[in-house]
Amino acid sequence: MTATRVEAERGEGLAARALRIVLTERVVLLAVLLVVVVVWFRVLGAGGYLVAPYDVGYLGNALESMVPFALLALAELFVIVSGRGGIDLSVGAIVSLAGMVFGFMVGVWGWPLLPAIAGCIAVGGLLGAVNGALVAHLRFPPLIATLATYYAYSSLALISNANGPISTPPVVALHSLTSNVDLPLLPPVPLHVFTILLPCAVLAWVVMSRSTYGRSLYAVGTNDIAAGYATQPVTRTRFTAFVLSGLLSGVVALVTVAQFASARPDAGIVGNGMALPAITVAVLGGVAIQGGIGRVGGVLVAALLVTWLNAGMLLAFPEGAEGSRYQLLALGLVLVLSALLNTLALRRYGRLS
Amino acid sequence: MANTLLRLRGVQKRYGGVRALRGVDVDVLAGEVHAIVGENGAGKSTLIKIVSGAEVADEGTVEIDGAPLQGGSTQAAMEAGIATVYQEPHLFGELTVAENVFLGRELRAGRAERQRRAHRYGRVDWATQRTRVSELLEQIGLDPAIGDVRVADLPVAEQQLVSIAKAFAHSAKILILDEPSAILTDREIDVLFGVVRNLRAAGVGIVYISHRLDELSQISDRVTVLRDGEVVATRPTGELTVRQVAELMVGHELGAATAARPAPAGEPVLTVAGLGRTGAFSGLDLQVRPAEVVALYGLVGSGTGAIARALYGVEPADAGTLHVDGRAVRLHSPRDAAAAGVAMLPGNRKQQGVFANKSIAFNISSAHLRHLAKLGFWFDRGRERSIAQDFLRRIAIKAPDVATPVGALSGGNQQKVVLARQLVRAPRVLVLEEPTQGVDVGAKEEIHRLVLELADGGSAVLVISTDLAEVLQLADRVLVVRKGAVVREFPRGAGQAEVLAAAAGDDGGAPADPDAQEVHP
Amino acid sequence: MTAPTTAPTAATPARRGLRVRAIEGQELALIGVTGLLWVVLSLATDTFLSAGNITNILFSVAPIALVGIGMTAVIVTAGIDVSVGSQAAVVMVVVALLVRDAGLAFLPAVAVAIGTGLVLGAVNGLIVAYGGIHPIIVTFGTLNIYRFVALQIFGSEQVAGVPDTLAVIGGGMPGRLLGVPTAWWLTLVLAAGMWCYMRFWATGRHLYAIGGDAFAARLAGVRVRRRQISAYMLTGACVGLAGCVLIGSGGLVQQNVGTGLELQVIAAVVIGGTSIIGGRGTVLGTLLGALLVGTISSAVTLLSWPTEVTQLFIGAFILVAVGVDLLRERRRSAR
Repeated sequence: MTATRVEAERGEGLAARALRIVLTERVVLLAVLLVVVVVWFRVLGAGGYLVAPYDVGYLGNALESMVPFALLALAELFVIVSGRGGIDLSVGAIVSLAGMVFGFMVGVWGWPLLPAIAGCIAVGGLLGAVNGALVAHLRFPPLIATLATYYAYSSLALISNANGPISTPPVVALHSLTSNVDLPLLPPVPLHVFTILLPCAVLAWVVMSRSTYGRSLYAVGTNDIAAGYATQPVTRTRFTAFVLSGLLSGVVALVTVAQFASARPDAGIVGNGMALPAITVAVLGGVAIQGGIGRVGGVLVAALLVTWLNAGMLLAFPEGAEGSRYQLLALGLVLVLSALLNTLALRRYGRLS
Repeated sequence: MANTLLRLRGVQKRYGGVRALRGVDVDVLAGEVHAIVGENGAGKSTLIKIVSGAEVADEGTVEIDGAPLQGGSTQAAMEAGIATVYQEPHLFGELTVAENVFLGRELRAGRAERQRRAHRYGRVDWATQRTRVSELLEQIGLDPAIGDVRVADLPVAEQQLVSIAKAFAHSAKILILDEPSAILTDREIDVLFGVVRNLRAAGVGIVYISHRLDELSQISDRVTVLRDGEVVATRPTGELTVRQVAELMVGHELGAATAARPAPAGEPVLTVAGLGRTGAFSGLDLQVRPAEVVALYGLVGSGTGAIARALYGVEPADAGTLHVDGRAVRLHSPRDAAAAGVAMLPGNRKQQGVFANKSIAFNISSAHLRHLAKLGFWFDRGRERSIAQDFLRRIAIKAPDVATPVGALSGGNQQKVVLARQLVRAPRVLVLEEPTQGVDVGAKEEIHRLVLELADGGSAVLVISTDLAEVLQLADRVLVVRKGAVVREFPRGAGQAEVLAAAAGDDGGAPADPDAQEVHP
Repeated sequence: MTAPTTAPTAATPARRGLRVRAIEGQELALIGVTGLLWVVLSLATDTFLSAGNITNILFSVAPIALVGIGMTAVIVTAGIDVSVGSQAAVVMVVVALLVRDAGLAFLPAVAVAIGTGLVLGAVNGLIVAYGGIHPIIVTFGTLNIYRFVALQIFGSEQVAGVPDTLAVIGGGMPGRLLGVPTAWWLTLVLAAGMWCYMRFWATGRHLYAIGGDAFAARLAGVRVRRRQISAYMLTGACVGLAGCVLIGSGGLVQQNVGTGLELQVIAAVVIGGTSIIGGRGTVLGTLLGALLVGTISSAVTLLSWPTEVTQLFIGAFILVAVGVDLLRERRRSAR
């Protein structure tokens, strides 16, 4: 009798422990879901339900769409972790405006490539700094501040070239920066995954996880009054979070211009804009809306998951339009469910990854 | 003979192993202001909770106007006619006074008998409500016109009076006022007393909880002194002096006199001269030597909190000077304070100290990020871990390991973590604000021992506290603060009752202890 | 028991100046600014003050103001609803199809629209009230889900050839009543009703309590969840009406309809003086905010400036309106 009781207890303990890990270690959950998604679509493919094979090559190619969203989700990570309702609705508009400026630099004013790249990112940082000043120094609610700058930046982007894109030859030539590259042992992967996403991801990880600034950011987002008492520069930390968000948006502007071989004024704001998917990926990646919680690893895996999920759905529906419709549904459901999951984990275990 | 509105007989209450109330008998008559005084932990708040229905007594009876009170239900208590007003008015700033008074229990048009059912839809009978509010405000002595003013536009003192009006919207028989004067200025207190007198004249029974013994003779008819969960005396206020009340509160002096500590020597580490902040405190002169423990003691609202905040740069002083180790410093932010070698344990650990969902190691290192980093920005987690583990052992923080989220620890252990944060870089001056508030007895002793050890090790320690026993146990010198200024200084070994009386406003009589100095009469 | 004596009230002088008035300071400022703009524009252009232009402004602003009525209640409770654009799409495609293919008449069509909106709003409200998730996340999610639903119903590209059943609240001539668009009359009536509700009904005042401190409100006996759900449902109903107005005289209903509506509505609400933190704001302010936005839009067109400049001004006005509000709050709490 004692043996069975011990067995039952151990079994219970294991299941409960597994549940706890899955709920609180977001990366684990996402990794599991990633495997589920890939397997699911492979099964569908084997059954003949897909219009094209969901194979390694396709997945490698799909990484192209991961780059902008992963980067913007990292941008939202910084801002949301900074707390006090931190959010950045203007990332898409920064992408448009910085992209237009970049287009002018490269395509019209004839700047050499490297200064133009630096300029584009700097413009992004500057636009983010405006957000930062409004939120951290003037104490505007982040939702309002970034809503207003969303309006301002997108209108500036549209006005800048009278609503038209810049597609002069120097700009078109940039497309080579995003073409596929063949690597040994790996399928063809777009170049900018390595030249842009990887370095940015590593940098973001270093900042969040290993730098004093990252610690400061987590402290400020968790309890900014206690952070003040603990000698943290609360205002400067919040301000910098928005600057970082702007810088990352500037990088995405580069990528977008290169990807489409043209600087389009509506690049980041078409449809419902890029902010929404970015925030979705961040929340899915374990970023808590209340602040102080969220990790780079989680956000990256979440971005990968959403990318491959979207890629699979494009194949599952013969009509492109239908596929993109289901992507919307998936995005919406993912957001609500992952937020519910975040709340559940916090309530039950007091922490989230 | 006035009838007894509130009668407690043999009320007992335990929390775990602690007996908060051990058989309390209290009567409150109609048309009486009955003050209840006692030290922290004497049982006052437990008493209020039982009477207001937030808690149930384990034994004993509570009767309102002869009818037994159903325990454990604030709703039942309200309906029986008990109204409680706490220190912080819980009002809605954006709504008017009239709306606040009736919120949730609005008077509906044409459904007078169904007033209680708040979920009934219906237009509010604003006319009747407004008239009633005007009556209430007049009864209380407030200008009836403020019924239409948004609460947030009123000064805090008036907001508190509105809370009292709100308590009366539904005809209370007993009004409990919990430390009402703590946040008020003298003039506002006069208005408050006027209101209380009006209510007394109208036959309400008022329970007045306060630490400010000097107020009792002005406002109360009888005083009940609680000590260690028991009633030690109930007398008409006129029969007692402040000193006598203090002595009753304190009982015999606590156990063995605290061991004498070596006399501090050397130049003062912290020298404060003429420090002041407009509206909060003024003329603070203070010196703390190495290995010395100095305490600032005062009642809630006396200005000790503001002094603590000024010494740490959170609410900087605008007059006077500060010197640390002989160097003049300007403390305009906690960073300035840390740079000058001043560390502070903040008074409210939940709001100001703890990062609840972060680990012990995170919490301890949070004030020393650059110090623990290589090249100024690469944070050294290994060092963070070992420092945290070191503290875990040194100050006996009860937790599985340094990765445990601080929110999972007990109050005492959380406090130890926040204290550890202050000790990482061996500060020159350690300021402790309410170091053991909300901490259990065991952890309290441990923290006290730690503080004394730190002092022995050479630190200059300043304790700012409203806990008298703690202050007398730790301090070599006690500076009593009242209304923003230091009024007296006592050496180690001073009588508890005397110190309490000084803080509570005993202005008369020669000091019993010839060693005590009159600083500001 | 003696009559209570009145204590000297020296500390509480009559506060006539601080009484809550029917029209708040911010709203007066808005009226002033909008009025000033109208004066300037009528001088700067020939066509601004023409009947045609004014009716255009009123009609274009009506759907935003309509949704704004509900959104004001939501934001006052410290919530937000960014899914209204997608809700509008669902409502519009459903009603357009029913009107075109099932020959639905005016009143049933409007009823369907309101009903659909109520359901969509209820989903939002339930998740916010019971799910413990921040409203912005919930409504970001439903923004996508509802857009999916709308697109599914759309099926092919767009709904063309919608008859003019709803013309009476549409933009053309049949949609006029005494020279003013009927849609605008509708908006005014509803806004007036909502304004009264939020001022004189207990449950309306409870919305402010919830926005101020939801926890304390619950302790005071306010039915917090019920009020939250009804605020979102009301927004849905308003979207239903707005959808009917947008269909108006019929014709074409495109797939991307409603995109961006939520931002315009939130802009109108915020410019109108409603605080995004909750606990403050009126429907009158929202109406005025919407009018100001409409005025800017019209001005930009008439002055032959690029239309994108409108957004720039809207962004600037949001900052100014909220900034003024923040200053006022800070000065008040410093007192």
